[in-house]
Amino acid sequence: MKSAFSFPFAALTLFAGAAFSQDQAVAEATSSSVLYRLIFALGIVVFLIAAFTVGRNRAKTMRSKVSEMHSLPSFHGAVTLQYAALGIVLAIVLHLILGRPLGLGGAVAASLVLGGAGALFGLSTIKADFRARTFTERTIMVALILCSLVAVLTTVGIVASLVVETGHFFELYPASEFFFSTVWNPRFGGGSSLGILPLVWGTLYVSAIALVVAVPIGLMSAIYLAEYASKSVRAWVKPAIEILAGIPTIVYGLFALITVGPLLRDYFAQPLGFGDSSSSVMTAGLVMGIMVIPFVSSLSDDIINAVPQSLRDGSLGLGATPSETVRSVVIPAALPGIVGAILLAASRAIGETMIVVMGAGAAAKLSLNPFEAMTTVTVKIVSQLTGDTEFASPETLVAFALGLTLFTITLGLNVVALVIVRKYREQYE
Amino acid sequence: MKDMNMESRVLIQSNKIEARKVQVYYGTNHAIKDVDVDILDKTVTAFIGPSGCGKSTFLRCLNRMNDTIPSCRVEGLITIEGEDINDPRVDPVQLRAKVGMVFQKPNPFPKSIYDNVAYGPKIHGLTRNKAELDDVVESCLRKAALWNEVKDRLQAPGTGLSGGQQQRLCIARAIATSPEVLLMDEPCSALDPIATAQVEELIDDLRSQFSVVIVTHSMQQAARVSQRTAFFHLGNVVEYGETTQIFTNPKDPRTESYITGRIG
Ligand SMILES: Nc1ncnc2c1ncn2[C@@H]1O[C@H](COP(=O)(O)OP(=O)(O)OP(=O)(O)O)[C@@H](O)[C@H]1O
Ligand SMILES: [Mg+2]
Repeated sequence: MKSAFSFPFAALTLFAGAAFSQDQAVAEATSSSVLYRLIFALGIVVFLIAAFTVGRNRAKTMRSKVSEMHSLPSFHGAVTLQYAALGIVLAIVLHLILGRPLGLGGAVAASLVLGGAGALFGLSTIKADFRARTFTERTIMVALILCSLVAVLTTVGIVASLVVETGHFFELYPASEFFFSTVWNPRFGGGSSLGILPLVWGTLYVSAIALVVAVPIGLMSAIYLAEYASKSVRAWVKPAIEILAGIPTIVYGLFALITVGPLLRDYFAQPLGFGDSSSSVMTAGLVMGIMVIPFVSSLSDDIINAVPQSLRDGSLGLGATPSETVRSVVIPAALPGIVGAILLAASRAIGETMIVVMGAGAAAKLSLNPFEAMTTVTVKIVSQLTGDTEFASPETLVAFALGLTLFTITLGLNVVALVIVRKYREQYE
Repeated sequence: MKDMNMESRVLIQSNKIEARKVQVYYGTNHAIKDVDVDILDKTVTAFIGPSGCGKSTFLRCLNRMNDTIPSCRVEGLITIEGEDINDPRVDPVQLRAKVGMVFQKPNPFPKSIYDNVAYGPKIHGLTRNKAELDDVVESCLRKAALWNEVKDRLQAPGTGLSGGQQQRLCIARAIATSPEVLLMDEPCSALDPIATAQVEELIDDLRSQFSVVIVTHSMQQAARVSQRTAFFHLGNVVEYGETTQIFTNPKDPRTESYITGRIG
């Protein structure tokens, strides 16, 4: 129970901190005023601990007199604490709503009055038949719900702001131009063409190459690790592959820029007559593919391992070879998870920026040639927002439309994956 | 109990499998100790014994399924038709095609009922076309007493069947490969009396072509379907012989107390 109680403390401290950090904009942020606020936050914590202790002791005394109490004393203490905390939250909210009329002193006074009232009310609830345990359980549940709401509401908020800003963009720039024009040529003086097609094309092209690299390599190494490798080999190889996921993308970008790009240009593009650009879709795709290998292999490996041994035994017992067993029994049984792993890798590839800038360049182009420089949606979002950050012109607002499009693409990908997985589940479970 | 001319047929039969001084260890746990057993051709052999005495473990030695358990070590000599199955030149894949197995827990593949049964024939190339495969699937499902229940939903997933149906599906799957020896680990533990009777009938049919080894906890079943019985106890084979003799006139006191229900 202790940890469950410490949660409201922490939340409250944070809350108090947030409330008063806004104050700082008004009052001058001297180091002493920061100190006062910290002391106030600490005071709240001490006050709540005191409320808990008083409530618990009171319930203990009552328990020694009354023969039967519904809840243990610590639950009554917790209820006292909850009411006290409620009082303090109310005080701080009031303080903020009223526009901080009396400064820090006012906040302290309000907290003392309302918190004290809450604590007194909490103490008055202590009776033999009061269900303090049930009450506390409910508060914990509410706290948990609030936390999950934070995640959901953040998502909703982000999407909503994307949609609204995209709306503004389309007021300034025709949607049909944006979606169907094949030219991306922003000019900050006005008269830009902002067609998304070359960017989407670049994104899909680079991601496709990345997946063509990562899926077979990742899946095969997962199969090797899960089905063939001995324990000691696995203990070394698995972490070694996972290190790939820990390398910062900028390092991959360097690798693309300095090694892979020139290599591809000198040994493939030039001799084969594909041009002589060292930044190319192929460079970025290959390097990105290496980067996402661990997403495919590590997850697939876990999923393949989770396929019950009895299925393998059944297949081997019928005289199937290990590879037949993997192909016809293990992989189909693990498929929903593998699809999930691949999609995770795909969304990672679609959202990647750094490797593209350094490997494929920043030129928006619609071309089939894999050795040509191209660019992606994410890169253009960055370049539209560096420098000029006044969100009034179509040239900057387009970033939101690009972001929303990207979001829609990844969302669509996830939906497709869900549908595939569900269809498969229905068939096999 | 079987009648006399069946007994005499048993006597002239040759050994299909011979096991000599077989030891199995799981890590340091010595699970099978000095087991000598001969499995006769065209005979049903029953393994009985209390839980944990090593029946499944010994059964899994006969088609080298213990290879799949890293901690498991098998010693001693096991031959099939005179050939040492643990010889490095023997391909366990071929061995398992010849010595089929029905596992203690039903383990249908996450595939359709049809594909479950067709799995073995497909990987071994036993049929030449779809029609032949259909015939094999049907006849195996009939033999396993499952056809009537699934004939309208052959494309439904095998994992969607009830536990007893799954077990019969696994039996159908095992006989579809036409093994020479069929190892059955408690094939009737999840079946009702009617399905049990059908499976026992199947076992009796199979005896004309294969030899069958069956692990069972039911004394009645061992007495009904088998011609020979081995009694396992704490990793040893305490007694092995004609089923009638084991059940009517056991030589070892432990066998007697087990079949009369005093240990186990
Ligand atoms: N995979 C395994 N790893 C380690 N020990 C095992 C394994 N399988 C079986 N054993 C051990 O070997 C011994 C024999 O087990 P086995 O499964 O052969 O018993 P059984 O006679 O088939 O029992 P039951 O009638 O309950 O199926 C037991 O002591 C068991 O703990
Ligand atoms: Mg067993």
